[in-house]
Formats: sequence, C-alpha cells, structure tokens
Amino acid sequence: MKTIALSLTCVLALFTAPAAMAACAIKNDVPLKALTAGFTAWKSVTAAMADCGNVKSELDQDFRLKEPAAFAANPALYQIGAVANETIVPLLNAGTIRPLDELVAKYGQGLSVNQLIKVDGKTMAIAMDVNAQHLMYRKDIFDQLGIAQPKTWDDVLAAAAKIKAAGVMATPVGATMQAGWNLATDFTNMFGGYGGTLFGADNKARVNGPEGIRALETMKALTAYMGPEYLNDDSTAVQKQFQQGKIAIANFWGSRAGALDDPKESTVVGKVAMVAAPAAVPGGKPATSVWWDGMVIARNISDKEADAAFQVLVQGLNKDMVTAHNDDVVWLAAGYKPGRLSEGVIATVQAGAPAYPSSARMGLLVTALGNRLPDYFTGKVSAAQVLASVEDQYAVGAKEAGLLK
Amino acid sequence: MKPRIFLAFVMPSLALMALFIVVPLVSVFWQSFQNTQTLFHEVETENCTPGFPAAICTTEARSVPLPGPDGKPQSQTVFVGLGNYRALLHSDQVAAAFAPGGMGLSVFATIDSYRALQFTLMFTFVTLPLVIVVGLALALALNGVTQMVRGPVIFVSLLPFIITPVIGALSVRWLFASDGILTAALAHLAGHPVSLLSQAWTLEILMILFNVWHTAPFAFLIFYAGLQSLNQDTMDAATVDGASRVARLRAVVLPHLMPLIIFVALIHLMDSYRVFDEIVGFSSQAHVISLQWLTFDLLTPDNSGNRAIGRASASSMLTMVGIVILLVPLIRHTWREHRRG
Amino acid sequence: MEPTRASRPPLTLRLTTIGFLAVWMVVAAFPLAWVAIMSFKLPLDAFSGAPLTVIFGPATLRAGLGLSLLDIVLYAVALVAAWRVGARRAARLAGTLAPGGVRPLGWCLVGFLYALGAIVVFGALLPAVLRGLDAALSAVPVLDALAVPFIGATGEHYRAVWVGHEFYRNFINSLIVTAGVVTISLSVGTLAGYALARTGSALAFWLLIGALVFRALPHSVLVAGYLPAFIGSRDWLQPAWDAPIIGSLLHLVADVPPTLYGKPWAIIFVLVSINQPFTIWMLRSFFRGVPAELDEAARVDGCSHLEAFYRVIMPVMWPGVVTAGLFSFLLAYNDYLVCALLLDAQSQTMVPAITGFFNRETTSTDQIEAVAAAVSITAPLFLLVMVFQRQIVSGLTSGAVKG
Repeated sequence: MKTIALSLTCVLALFTAPAAMAACAIKNDVPLKALTAGFTAWKSVTAAMADCGNVKSELDQDFRLKEPAAFAANPALYQIGAVANETIVPLLNAGTIRPLDELVAKYGQGLSVNQLIKVDGKTMAIAMDVNAQHLMYRKDIFDQLGIAQPKTWDDVLAAAAKIKAAGVMATPVGATMQAGWNLATDFTNMFGGYGGTLFGADNKARVNGPEGIRALETMKALTAYMGPEYLNDDSTAVQKQFQQGKIAIANFWGSRAGALDDPKESTVVGKVAMVAAPAAVPGGKPATSVWWDGMVIARNISDKEADAAFQVLVQGLNKDMVTAHNDDVVWLAAGYKPGRLSEGVIATVQAGAPAYPSSARMGLLVTALGNRLPDYFTGKVSAAQVLASVEDQYAVGAKEAGLLK
Repeated sequence: MKPRIFLAFVMPSLALMALFIVVPLVSVFWQSFQNTQTLFHEVETENCTPGFPAAICTTEARSVPLPGPDGKPQSQTVFVGLGNYRALLHSDQVAAAFAPGGMGLSVFATIDSYRALQFTLMFTFVTLPLVIVVGLALALALNGVTQMVRGPVIFVSLLPFIITPVIGALSVRWLFASDGILTAALAHLAGHPVSLLSQAWTLEILMILFNVWHTAPFAFLIFYAGLQSLNQDTMDAATVDGASRVARLRAVVLPHLMPLIIFVALIHLMDSYRVFDEIVGFSSQAHVISLQWLTFDLLTPDNSGNRAIGRASASSMLTMVGIVILLVPLIRHTWREHRRG
Repeated sequence: MEPTRASRPPLTLRLTTIGFLAVWMVVAAFPLAWVAIMSFKLPLDAFSGAPLTVIFGPATLRAGLGLSLLDIVLYAVALVAAWRVGARRAARLAGTLAPGGVRPLGWCLVGFLYALGAIVVFGALLPAVLRGLDAALSAVPVLDALAVPFIGATGEHYRAVWVGHEFYRNFINSLIVTAGVVTISLSVGTLAGYALARTGSALAFWLLIGALVFRALPHSVLVAGYLPAFIGSRDWLQPAWDAPIIGSLLHLVADVPPTLYGKPWAIIFVLVSINQPFTIWMLRSFFRGVPAELDEAARVDGCSHLEAFYRVIMPVMWPGVVTAGLFSFLLAYNDYLVCALLLDAQSQTMVPAITGFFNRETTSTDQIEAVAAAVSITAPLFLLVMVFQRQIVSGLTSGAVKG
C-alpha cells in the first residue's frame, strides 16, 4: 500500500507542470468568478486573470445558455462574463450588466478606444478581439493552376470549377453551412453582399425578394463543389477538411486560421492564404460581417467586487498575455503584432465589411432561417417558397416575443 | 395493507415526484396558454463596435426594452388561449393548403411539428419489432450454446446498452460520416462515393440501426432471464410428443415469454417515442427531427436570448398527450392485472 | 440444464447460432473498440479515412510515439491479468475487506483500490518498465526487432484530459452524484415498491399509471423549468428562512438560503425523482415475486410493517435491488441534460464535461481528447458489468421478468 501511494505521488509529480509565472500587475483579494466561452483565446485570457489570484473561471462553450439567468440572480453568480456582439443582446435587454465608463476612467488607461463597446453612448463591454469569416484558399494549388486571388463569389465559383476540372480535388469548396445558426449566418452575409436589408419598418422581416433569391442561388451553386454532407458542416468540420487537404477554398472564421498552421493537426501548414472575404457583386463590399468577443461586468454585485473584477479583466488582456498568445486571434489589446494569419480579417474589416447587426429580432430571424433554409438545399421547395416560410416563422416568433404587432 | 400505512410507505417517493415532476409539469401546462413578452419601444441609439484603425459608430433606430419605474425592463404576460398550439401547428397554413388551389397534403412536409411527429411515430414502430426480434433471437441463440461462452457474450452484449447514449451515437456516427471508415468501405463495395448523412432516408436507417444496437441488449437480457425460468419438463414433454423445434417455440417458449415481450415493448415504446440523442448524435436536424428535439429546440434560447417558451410548452403538452394515447392499451392491461391483485 | 439427446440441435442450427452470436459480438463491440483505437492516435491519423492509417498511425509513429511488439504483448498480458483479478477476486476481496461487515463499503474500497492499481500499473509502472526493456533489447542483435515501434500510439490525450483538464474533479463529482442517486433512489423506491406490490387499491393503481406517464415524459420538458428555480433559489427560499420556527431551525444549517445551482446534492434529488417512476415499477414487480405469506408470517410474529419489510423481505430481495440499483446508476452516470444545465464547471460531472469538448470552437485535438475522455468514462461501466453480471441476470430472472 505504501509503495502504491509512493509511486502515485511520483506519477502526479511527473504530470504536474510547473505553474506559469504570474504576469499580473495587481494582487487581487476579492473572490471572483468568470463565465467564458472555451476557445483558445479564452484559455489564454482566463489563465492571465487567474494569475491575479482568487479568480475562478468557468470555460463553457454553452455559456450563452446560462449567462442571462446567472447574471439575473441577485447576487449574480459570476462577476465577469464573456460576450460576443450577439450574446451581449440578452444581457443588455435584461439590464443585468453595468456601464463601465467610471471604471474605464479609473483603471482602464491601457485600453484603446477601439476596445470600448458603446451602446447608447455608454461603455457596456470591453472587446478583446475581432473576428470575421473571410476567404482562405490554398495558395499552392491556385499558383499551380494559374488562378488569381478571387475577389467575388463568381471568381470563387470559376476557381472551384477549374480545380475540379484539373482533377486536383473533387470537392474544392468548404463552407460552414450546418443547418441552424451557421447556415443562417452564411445566408445573411450573402444577402448583405447583394445589398439586401433584412428588416423593413416595424420589425418586419424582408428577406423574400430578389436579393434573397440571388443569395440562395449563389449558395446553391457553390454546393455543387462541396462534399455532400455540407448541411452538417460546422466550423470544426470545415477546419478538418482544410487540415486534411480535402478543400481548397472556404469563407472561414479568422479565429480558425491558427489551426491550419498547427503541424500536429494540419497537413497544409503555410499553404493557406488569408485574404478579404469575396464580394457578392463586382466592386461591392465583402459579403461578410465583423464580430468581436469581449467581457462584461455584472450589475447585481457590490461596487467593491466590480472594482476588483474590472481590474482583473484589464489584467487578463495585458501585453504579456497578448505577446505570448499573439496568433490565437486578432487581438484588439495593446501589444498585438499582426501576422500572416491575421491578414484576412484585417483586409476584410478595412474593405468595409459591416458589423454583425445583432439584436433580439436578428436572433429570431436567424432561428427561422436556420430551421427553414435546409428545405431549399435538400430540394423540397423553391427559393421563393422557402423565403416566404422563413418570413412566416419569423412572424410567429416575433409576435410571441412582442416585437411584432 | 391499510391505506394509512400504504401512504406512509409511498410518501417519500410521492413527495419527490410531486415536487420535481408534477410541479414543473403543471407550470408547463399553464404556460402553454400564455405568452410573456418584453415591452419594446423604438429608440435612436449610437452604438460603437471595433474596426481598423478606429471604432465604427452608427446611429440607428432600434427596438429596445422599455424600462419600468425600477429601471428593470417591463414585461407583460398575456393569456392567449390556444394561440400557442395554433402557432405550433400552423393551423392557418394547413387550412390554406386544403382550401381549393392549396398545396394539399404536401404542406405537412414543410411544417416542423408534423415532420417531427411523422418521424417519431415511424421510428417508434419500426424499431419496436426489430428490437424484440433481435433480442429474442440473441436470447434463444445464447440459450442454445454451452455455459462457458455465455458469460463473455453477455458481457460484450451489455456494452452498447450501458454506454452513455450521446457517446455511443457519436462513435457510431464517426464510422459513417463522410470520412468514416465504414462509409469508405461501403463506397468501395458500391463502386461510387457514398454519403450517408446527406439525405433523410439513409439517416433514418442509420438512426434505426443505432437504436437497435443500443436497446436490443436490454431486450436480450430480459428474454434470456425469462428463458432461465422456462419449465424444462414442458419442453421435454413437447419433444417427446414429437413437436418440431418451431412448434415448440410457438407453443411453449413464446407464451412463456409473452409477459416479458409486453414489458420490453412498453419500455421501448416510451423510450423510442422520446428519441432525442440520435438526432443530436447524428446531427440530422437538417433532414430529420423528432418531437422531443423540437421541444428542446424551441426551449433553447438563440444567441440573442429569445426562447419560444409558449410554443415549447404547447409542444411538450402535445407530446405528452401522444404518449398517453400510445399507452392506453397498456393501462387497461395493468388495470385488469391490478384488480386481480 | 444439459439438453437431452433428443433435443440436441442439429449441426446446421448450431453453426447458425454460433455464427449469429459471433456477428453480434463484432457489431456490439466494434464501434467502441474503434473509438478506443482512435483515442491513442494523433488527430492526423485518428480522423483519416483509411482504416489501416487509423490502426497503425503512421503520423503518430513519425512523431516518435509508438509501440513495439514487446510492448503490445506485455500490455495485453497486463490487461488479461487485470480482467481476471476483477472478475474472480473482487467479490471475495470485497467480503474480506468490508469494514464492519458492511458489504457496499467493501465494494467501494475494492473499486477504489482497483482503480488506483490500474492507474499505477498502466500509467506509470508499465511505461517505465517497457522503456527500460526496449532500450535493453535494442542492444541485442536479433531481438531488437521486437523492440522497434511499429504501431503509432500515444497516451498523451489521456494525460491531457486527466491531468491537464483536471478531469479527476469531474470524476469525483460523478462519483458523488451517482452514489447519492443510487442510495436515495433505492431507499425511497423499495418502500414505495413494496407498498405498491402489497395493495390492490385504486389509489395505488392511479399512482402506478401516473408513474408510467412520468416515465414516458421527455426530460427536456421538465428540465428547462428547473434552471430559473435553481439559480434564483435564494430569493424564493427566503420566506422559509424568515418563518418563525422553521426559519430558526434552518438558520442552524445556513445563515442564508443556498443557491441550488451548481450543488451536486440538489442534482441528486432531481435525478432520483426523474428515475423514481422506473425504480418503483421495477421494484414493485420484484416484490410481487416475493410471496405475501412471508410478511404475513412475520406480522403474526409481532413485527410491524416496517420491521417485516427490513427483517424478512429485504434479505430475499438483494438480486432485485442490485438490478434496480444498476439502472439507477446508469441513469445518474450517463445523465447529460440535467447535469449540463444545473451544475457549474466546479461541480460538473463527466458526461457534460466531455460534450463540452465537442462544441463550436473546438480543434481536432480537443475532439480526440474528448474521445479519450469518453473511453475513460466507459472504464468504470466495464468494471461494473464485469463484477455484477451474474447478479443482474439472476435479479432479472427472479423478479422483473414477471412483468
């Protein structure tokens, strides 16, 4: 028994890595809890926050399911919460997060103006990164076949046809078109690219029009060059297809660029070029939208806790953390050095891609799109029919939510 | 047993069920007739989001919640009668479809609640006989081999049954996904690329096979246990009378197992009616959905925090009515048996 | 039970039977075996479409992670030995080790020791010994072929999961929840099952029907209602704390009402309730198998109902209780919906923790780590079936079988 215990201690000692050196400039003595998403950048940020002491972080990909309820509790179950431009909506609407202007004035000297997310003039969140779906393509294959960088979706279709005809790949295009949120987002991007406006007066959905039909037709044309299971493909699936050399082009999340250069997972290290998202019409703005991730502070906590939480939050985004994890995402915090992998996101933003229009009504429309559009892609109904039924379903949801009379 | 003592014995169990099942159920019932809405008003607001090099600020009219006297957003609860049920069943759309010049029966294929109902019933009634037949065949086969191999066979058979359903479904899915090895094998046999997760009928077959894989071991175990209490004298007598193997199966074995077959059928009926893990595991929602998945989907808030509680409550109530209808024959059976004591 | 000569099946039937069973065993075990193989490979190999690549793992091998013939043989020997110890010795050891003769405690102790032993042997002892052996053998001219790695395999995902992601915390949470659910579910359920088996009143009937309908309820219907109640429990429990007499009692336990969200003991009650319908139905049919004369005799001897129940009925009920306990165990151990929603990261059980790896923003490495975690959580289930297999079959034979 003694020997067992002894060898067990040895095993544990072997496995336990030495703790990372604390990079936090303050010493926190207020017990704090944070609820965040779980992707790589959050791992880096929460680790930096933990260095300040007394911070427990919960990294949960489904944080959005818990966050509104946890912040509505009194006292709130977490002081710090992760948000993106979409997930901040329910917190704003319920009024469970606090304005940060005073705290920014007190402790936020290191933050750039770009990081302050203002709603109705008040700073409600601190952004840490920007993200966008943009064009990634296999530079080696394009060069070999003499194809130029695609600027529009028609260019993408032509390039895909060429790659397929050359017999390099059977399914050169990848897309995050999983039924639900992914598919809906791809549609709204394309719809915006064709110049459509999603909503009319009085919160009525307005997707059933020429822009909607053109967007669907372009998407459908692209599916001819995709693997047959594209309606199941989420970001991780597309990432895997890229990594295993099965696809050559995708309009794909900037936050995934790092994984394509990870030698442990990828067979295409260094071969994928990152450029701006293609436009739907020649000379138009990129048919995509810009997203950000950031953090908020709960309203239902004491001011002392809020003070501590904000300082920890700022420390979580400190220069050392950004330098150490430069390629996780396109950081907004000071110390970030844009590299090869961030070129696509930056080019997309600079080409004037719009911010994602998050709001309560947008959530309802996305749900309706995500549920209904698959019927068009599986060939059950026509484009006009499916868009009409999207508007129907949106109307049901919006009436139930009180947004539509 | 005196009623007082009876109550004392069942009280702890009853209290737990009342608190954690009946209370939520009643609240769901009540909510299915109501809608709780946040009050919105239109406001011109300026919002800023990050950009390069500077932040992008836009001013536009947005619907924002109307703050009440305490600063919290106001909401109101309205009684809508059967409104949620109508919205769920799209009764107006169905009515329009059956009016002259409407799309007729095909309207049901485009409305989620009917699609879910259709798949759930199909799934239930296809897997039911399959599970019983496979379970029975396994039990009979195992009963016919020497004692020595029975232990290992039971052990291996139990694995699909005890494994966490979500994980079981995922591991089966990996085998059949576009880059899965069994898909590759099928494509090799067929001579052309195969995709099993991209159309409804292959997905349905996969889900049915998975369900049989997952639940047949339970049926098998119950039937095998039942065979152990089979009266060997009866069997021998039948053999001496010259009854063939098939005749003995029909005249002696099946009647002996009948109560068990009913028991297994019942459990399976309830479990397959609430099919859910299969939809998640095979991520089939683009092609095939089930009733429980529909309720779950309505309840899950979208990224902007909206959840269709009213419709979800209506959907769960209708699901419950469905299961009660399916259970009626069984309830009658229990009543008779119960009276007998 | 040897078949008499006359009823001995013909050869063709015997062959079909054996063939059928063999095919079933492959079908039953293959998906799990395959996933287990994947968990030892780097993502490049694990997600490859070519079966041989997945099995031999060339990329994993290139990364310098592999097994030689010698390693495989030794691991196999160790596995078989572990199996035999588990299947043969565990029961006896549990009896001997049981503190104060309480068998369930003995079982816990044995399970703990077994797991500890397995971790030490497979996680530390064997790799170290094999490294030495391989090094020694590669110096010998002919035998060095045995020591050359030829199958790519790595335990790094397991290490990442258990050490890096501190999966042992989830394991402990799972243990707490499961143990609580099984204990409470059985103590409450046996009482109700017994009472239901011994009465013919209409109330009992409606209770059973109610339980049946509850058993059929989709869980998502119930679970969504719990979240706000659990998170806001401090508010709605406050009146009880303010109440005159009960309040002062409650203040002895805690100064403020607890937040139920993230508390394993609160989850235990939810899971017990959800599983109660099935438990009482099952136990009821077990009790119906116990002749009523037995407790009547005890009552004549002057026992109360409760005494008769504990002294006379329970002792003959063990196989049934073990079977019902196993089903409660499976429910609690495999539960996803309730635990995912109502527990926070610090108190999360294993299954929701694993599905957390599979979400939107994951990498292929995360996925393989999830696979490794999934394989590791099936290990205790393996053990359980191995040890209790006989009791389950005999339990079902004696009871539930009567419908």
